[in-house]
Order: sequence, then C-alpha cells, then structure tokens
Amino acid sequence: MEPTRDSHATLVDLLDRVLDKGLVLYADIIVSVAGIPLIGVNLRAALAGMETMLKYGVMQEWDERIRAWEREKRAEETVPTVAGDGHRPVETTFSC
Amino acid sequence: MQCSDDIRVTTPSEGEDGTKIEGRYLYCVADSGEKVSLGPIGIDGGEVYTVPYKDVSAVVHGCPAEPYQSSDAEMVKGWVIAHQRVVDKAWEKWGTVLPLGFDTIVRGQGDSEPCESVEAWLAADYQSLKRKMEAVRGKAEYGVQIFWETRAIAKSITETSAAIGRLEDEIRSKPRGLAYIYRLKLENALKKEMETKADQCFRDFHKRIKKHVCDLRSEKTKGPGDDRLMIMNLSCLVDRDRSTDLGEELEAIDRMEGFSVRFTGPWPPYSFVGA
Repeated sequence: MEPTRDSHATLVDLLDRVLDKGLVLYADIIVSVAGIPLIGVNLRAALAGMETMLKYGVMQEWDERIRAWEREKRAEETVPTVAGDGHRPVETTFSC
Repeated sequence: MQCSDDIRVTTPSEGEDGTKIEGRYLYCVADSGEKVSLGPIGIDGGEVYTVPYKDVSAVVHGCPAEPYQSSDAEMVKGWVIAHQRVVDKAWEKWGTVLPLGFDTIVRGQGDSEPCESVEAWLAADYQSLKRKMEAVRGKAEYGVQIFWETRAIAKSITETSAAIGRLEDEIRSKPRGLAYIYRLKLENALKKEMETKADQCFRDFHKRIKKHVCDLRSEKTKGPGDDRLMIMNLSCLVDRDRSTDLGEELEAIDRMEGFSVRFTGPWPPYSFVGA
C-alpha cells in the first residue's frame, strides 16, 4: 500500500497538521490578538476570525493551556525574571 | 543590537504599499546555517528567506505584525497550502525541518527588529531545537487511519458469537412481547461485543504498526461521513527507507474483511516537534 499526498484527497489531513500542530515558541514574541498569542490556531478560529472566537470564549481553554505551558517553560529557565510581574524581561540575555 | 537580517532586497522594512514590515511569519526551522532567499514563494507571494543562528535557521517572510485571518474558507485554505508548500520546499532543500503551525508570527520587542526576536528565540531554544532535529532526522510523518464497516463487523460478530447466537434462538422461541425484551438484550450484547472487538483490533493493529515506526501518536478519531467508523487515527514517525514495510503491514489490514485503511504522507513531522 502506497501513502498518498494527493492535494485534494488529503486536504483535511494537511489542515489537521498545519492548523493544530508544529513547533511551539514562547508567547512573548508572538503576534497576539486581544492579548492572546497566536500559536497553533485551529481551523474554526482561523475561519471565524480570532476576535469572534475570543468573544465566545472558544479559545479560552487553549489560551490557558498555552499560558500554563509557558509558565512551565519559564520556570525551567534560569534567566532572571523581573520580580513579580510575570513577564519575561525584554532585555534578553541573548545577543544576535 | 546588530541584526544579521540585512538582505536588503528580500527584507524591505516597508512593503510595496508602504505598510510597515514589523513581523516575521515562521514556516519552519531548517537544518542549515545557510543565509539564503527562496524567492517569492510564501503566503500571498511573500519573499521567503532564512534567518540563521549557528547551524540552524528559521525560514520566514516579512509581514505586518498581524495574524492572517479571514472568514473566507477558500482564502484560508490557500494560505495553508502556501504554508505547506514552503515547508516542503525547505524540507526538500535541507533534508530535515521542524515545521511550525499556521500563523506563527514573531514581532519585534520594544525598539528591536523582529528578526532579532527570531534570532533570540533560535539562540534560547537552540539545544531543544537540535534535540528535536536529531529525533526527526531521516524520518517522515505518515497518517494512518483505520476504518471498519459497521454493518459487516456486526454481521460477522452475530455469526460467530455464541452468546448472541443463543439470544437469537431465544427471540425465535418467545412470544412477541418477550421477544421485544430479548431483542433489546441482543442489541446491548452486540454493542458490547463490538466495543470489545474495537479494543482488540486497536491493540492488535497498534502492535503490528508499532514494529515499523520510530514513534507514534494516537489522534482523536473522526467520522468519515459514511457508514464506516474510524477506529484508529495515528500519526507515525517513520524512517524514510522503512515506509514500504509499514505500507505492507497496512495492506494486510486493508485486505481484512470489513476493514479499510487510509495511508497519507510523507508529511513533515508536524506531530513530533511540539512541546
């Protein structure tokens, strides 16, 4: 049996992957809508427009998940954070 | 902060219509420190190029710091397909990529340029990116969905199950009122047996498929919209030169009475690079 990637027959499979999966990066540097960073947007959100989804709370769970993940990631890092404000310092320790 | 994102021709700070280019749309991270342009192959014809850090690079295009969003499904589809085309191109060129999902756009922070944010991210996540890169090197993702035809499976269970056979005999010998009760019993028994059978199949197929893959993930099953039922939906990470073995195993499952298999790919490893 040969795998297929025929673009018509596998559009849904493509959407499942491109809209829900992939590499995640920390939220501070990601473009956001109404304060929520866009990471792994789901299809309905993309179709209906972010604002609408936010209005109806559809993305809240997802947003909480991302924030929790981010908190965890911060906790793992040794970068000193500004006391108490919960934000990664903008003056990063990296240079490019 | 000196930013190395200085390919003037390909990364103007202003778009043709004068809008400010203050974001970088990310397609994937490639296994190469090469600084190169891939041409205007991005979403809406965006000029795609790499932002390198050491021996890895982010594949990006310059765009306003706003998400791509639309209520037009066709437009979104077009964007997603363009996204995938770029990831495919990079995958082909560099052999190993870590794909990002649609609409991941990095912005600058304070006075700094978005490309600095991209570099800072590559630098901060470098170890983890390299680890992920090693985990998917030489491999591709395949989608495996297994369906059964509900009617055919129910029929074969009815024919082979002793318990169900007994209930059927009872129905025939009972008066109409009682027969109704027994019919309900029969339906319940059949439902239970089908669930048991689905579990068995899942375990059996899982074991058979696992032999041929490096990693696999169970995804939510979905209704295909006909009388078939999806009993498994897997994402499999497979050595590129071993996909034929997986194909043969799936062929055997596909030939089983009442079962069918969908086998898609090769996909970039979307399901195996997440957090």
